[in-house]
Amino acid sequence: MTLALDIVLSGLVLGGMYALFALGLTLQYGIARIMNLSYGEFLIAAAFGALFLYTGMAVNPIVGMLAVVPAAFGLNWLLYQIVLMPLVKRAKSQGMLEVDSILGTFGILFVIQGVMLVVFGGSLQSYSYLSIPIHILGTTLALNRILALAFALIIAGVLYLFLTRTRYGIAMRAIAVNPVAAQLSGINIRAASALAFAAGGAIVGAGGVLTSMFLTFSAASGVVFTMKALIVVIMGGVGNMMGALVAGLLLGIAETAVARLVDPGLTIAVTYALFLGALLWRPTGLFGRPAR
Amino acid sequence: MKLSKGFYAAAVVVVIAVLAAAPLFLSGYHLALGISLLYFTVLATAWALFSGPTHYISLATAAFFGIGAYTTAALPDLLPIPLVLLIAAAVGVAIALVVGLSTLRLSGIYFVIFSFGLSELIRQLVTWYEVNIHGSVGRYIFAETTTQGIYWRLLALALAVFGVTWLIRHSRLGLAVRVIGQDEMVARHCGIDTTRAKLALFAISAAFMTVTGAIMAPRWTYIDPAIAFNPTISFEVVIMALFGGAGALFGPLLGAVPLVLLFELLIGNFPNYFSILLGLVFVLIVYALPQGVFGLLEARFPKVRRAASATGMSALAEKLVGPVWPRAAKREMAGDAPVLQLAGLRKSFGGLVAVDNLSFELRRGEILGLIGPNGSGKTTALNLISGAIAPDSGEIKLEGRPIAMLPAHRIAQRGVARTFQLVRVLGASTCLENVIAGLAFHSNALWGAAAEQRARELLTRVGLGDKADMPAGQFTYIDQKRLELARALALSPDVLLLDEWLAGLNPSELHVGIALVKMLRDEGLTIIIVEHMMDAIRSLCDRCVVMSAGAKIAEGPPAAVLSDKEVIRAYLGGAGD
Repeated sequence: MTLALDIVLSGLVLGGMYALFALGLTLQYGIARIMNLSYGEFLIAAAFGALFLYTGMAVNPIVGMLAVVPAAFGLNWLLYQIVLMPLVKRAKSQGMLEVDSILGTFGILFVIQGVMLVVFGGSLQSYSYLSIPIHILGTTLALNRILALAFALIIAGVLYLFLTRTRYGIAMRAIAVNPVAAQLSGINIRAASALAFAAGGAIVGAGGVLTSMFLTFSAASGVVFTMKALIVVIMGGVGNMMGALVAGLLLGIAETAVARLVDPGLTIAVTYALFLGALLWRPTGLFGRPAR
Repeated sequence: MKLSKGFYAAAVVVVIAVLAAAPLFLSGYHLALGISLLYFTVLATAWALFSGPTHYISLATAAFFGIGAYTTAALPDLLPIPLVLLIAAAVGVAIALVVGLSTLRLSGIYFVIFSFGLSELIRQLVTWYEVNIHGSVGRYIFAETTTQGIYWRLLALALAVFGVTWLIRHSRLGLAVRVIGQDEMVARHCGIDTTRAKLALFAISAAFMTVTGAIMAPRWTYIDPAIAFNPTISFEVVIMALFGGAGALFGPLLGAVPLVLLFELLIGNFPNYFSILLGLVFVLIVYALPQGVFGLLEARFPKVRRAASATGMSALAEKLVGPVWPRAAKREMAGDAPVLQLAGLRKSFGGLVAVDNLSFELRRGEILGLIGPNGSGKTTALNLISGAIAPDSGEIKLEGRPIAMLPAHRIAQRGVARTFQLVRVLGASTCLENVIAGLAFHSNALWGAAAEQRARELLTRVGLGDKADMPAGQFTYIDQKRLELARALALSPDVLLLDEWLAGLNPSELHVGIALVKMLRDEGLTIIIVEHMMDAIRSLCDRCVVMSAGAKIAEGPPAAVLSDKEVIRAYLGGAGD
C-alpha cells in the first residue's frame, strides 16, 4: 500500500514535470510550427545553469530561475529570429517547414550538446537542495520535489490564463488553429510565432531548473527529455493543454511504477509502449482533434 | 549514343574491378578508410531509398545498424558468415515491419518522433536483456574474418544496394512512393496501397542497414550497447544523404565520400569539438543546400537532371519487385442493378453534420448532378464514396457489394475515379508520370511501353498530347484540370466523380469540357458531377440530387428540381417564406 502511494506521489511529481515540458513544446510546435528536436538540450542547459549558480555562486535554484528563465526566453527568441526564420520564409507549405525544422534543429541539438560536453564534461551531475523528507499520508517525499511540482502548476496556470484571457494569448491560439486566417485578421504571425517559440523556451528553461533539483542529468540526456515531451504532446493532442497534463501525469506514474517494480533501465520502453498504445487506440491523441 | 552506353558499361566494370582489387594494395589506415567510405555509402543510400521519395525523415539508422552488429555478436562464432548476414537481415526486416505497421499508417510526424528515440529504446532493451538474462553488458566477437574480408563484403553490399535501388526506382513500387511523397491522397485514389508501399521500402532499407551492422561487427572485438547503438551514426547518415541529394540514385554516394573524409579530418584534429562541428556542418547543409549537390547540378545542367531523374519503367525491375503487391481487387459487374447505391449515409465532423441520412442510386450510364448551395455536403458525399473518409453510419454499395468501410485505394481499384475540387497534380513529376500513376495500380494495370502509349493517348484525348513530358507543376490551372481528368480516366473507371471540374473554365473551354463529359458518358461511363454552373447541369445531367445542410431535399430531372420551391429556397434563402 505504501509502495503504491509512493509510486503515485513520485509519479505525479515526475508527470507534472513532463506535462510542463510538453506545454513548452506544444507552444513551439502548435503555434510557431517548429518541430524542435533540440528542445531537451535547452532543458539540460538550464539544469547546468542552475547547477552552476547553486554550487558556484550559492544562488538557490528558485532564485536562479530569475536569471535562467529570461536567458532561455532571450536565447530562444534569437534562435527563432536568426536561425529558424530563413527556414520559415523558405517553406512553401507546413509540411516543408516541418521537415526543414526537424533537420535544422537536429543540427542545433548536436551543436548545443557538443558545447555542453566541452564545458561541463560528460559525467552525471546533481546537487542537493532542500532534500528534506516530508511525510505525507505515511510515505515520504523530498521537499524539493513538492516545490518543483508546485512551481510547475503555477507556471501552467499562468500560461493558461495568458492563453485564454489576453489578446496575445488569443492571437497565438488563432495562429495555432489557422495561420492564414489569423494573418488576415491582422495578427502579425511572425512576431507572435517568435514570442510563442521563446515562451516555449522559457518554460523548458524553468522545467530544467526545477528538474535539476531532484534528478541527475548529463550533457547527453537532452534527447530523452525531447522524446518524452514529444510523446506527451502527441498523446495529449497537439495544442491541447488539458491533454498534455493528463498524458504527462500518466507517463510519470507509469514510468515510476516500472522503475520501482521492474527495472529503472526500462523507462523509455514504457514511454514507447504508452505512445504506441495511445496511437493505436486513438490516432489523434487522447483529447485531440485530427492532427494536421 | 550507343557507343557511349558501351563506354559507360566498360567504365563501371573497370571502377568495380579497381575497387575490388584495392585491398590487395592498401593496408592499415587506408583500408580502414575504404571500409568507412563503403559502409557509410551503403547506409546513406539505404536511408535515401526510403526517406528520399517519401520525405519521411528516418532517424533510426543507428537502431538498425546496432541490431545488425548485435546479431553477429549474439550468434555463435562458428556460424558461416552468409547465414549470419541472412539472419541479421531477417531480424532487421521483422523490427522494421513492427515499427512501420504501428507508425506508417499515420501521418509522417509520428514516424519521425518514433524513429528519433528508436535506437535509445532498443539500446535500453538490449542492455536490460544483457544484464538480467545474459549476465554481462558486453560481448566479445571472435568471428574469424579479416579486414579485407569485411571490405569485400561491404563492396558487394554497396553494389547490391545500388542495384536494388535502381530496380525499385524503375518498378511500380518506385512510382508508388514518388506519388506518395508528393501527395498521399492522390496516391490512394490512384489505387496505391500507401501503407504497404511505405512499409515495403522501409523494411528493405532497414535490411541493408542491419546487414551493414552485421558485417561491421567483427571490426570491434568487444561490443556493448553503447558502442553498437551510437546515435551519431543516424545523424551522419542523414547529413550525407542530404548533402549529396536524397532524390538521385548516386546522390548519397556523392555526399558520403566527401563527408566521410571531412569527418575523418575533424575527428583527427578536433576530437573534443567533433559534435559541435558536425552540428554546424549539418545546419550549413540544411540552409545552403536544401536539394543537395545533385540538386545544384540539376539546376545548372538540365542534362544531369534528365540523367539523374531518369526513373522510367523497366519490365525486368517490375518482375523482380512486383511480388510486393497483392493482386488488385477484381472488378465485378452486377448486370442491371444500380451501379452505386447510397443508403442512410451520415458523417459528422465534431458537432457539424456534413452529410445527414443521404440515400440515392446511380444508374448505369447516366450523369447524375449532385448540386446544392456551398457547404451543403456535396464534396463530403464524394469523399465518402471515394473512400477518402469513412462514414459514421450508412451503406455504400458498388455493383451490389458494400464498399463504405474499404480504404480509398481498394475503391479506386474497383473502378471509382475522381477529380478534386482544389486540383491536385503531382507538380514535380512529368505530365506523363501523373497519368501512368493512374494506369499502374488497378486490376488491369499497365506498365512499360504499353503504359506509356496508353498515357499518351489519354493525354491527347484531354488536349495535352504535346505537353506530355513537361513537369506538371508548370501547367496553367486549366491544364492541371485536364491532367487530373486524364489521370482519373487512366484508372479505366466504371464510375467517375467530378468535383467542380468545370468551374473556372472560360466560355469556350466550358463548351469543350461539356462535350468531353458527354462523350465519356456515351462511351459507357457512369458519372457524378458536383457543379454550380446551372447551364452545365441542364445540358449534361440526366438526373439531379439536390442537397442542403447535409440532407437530400429533392431528386429528379434538372428542369423539375431547379424549379422546385424548396430548392429555390435553399439556394436563395428564405424568400419564399
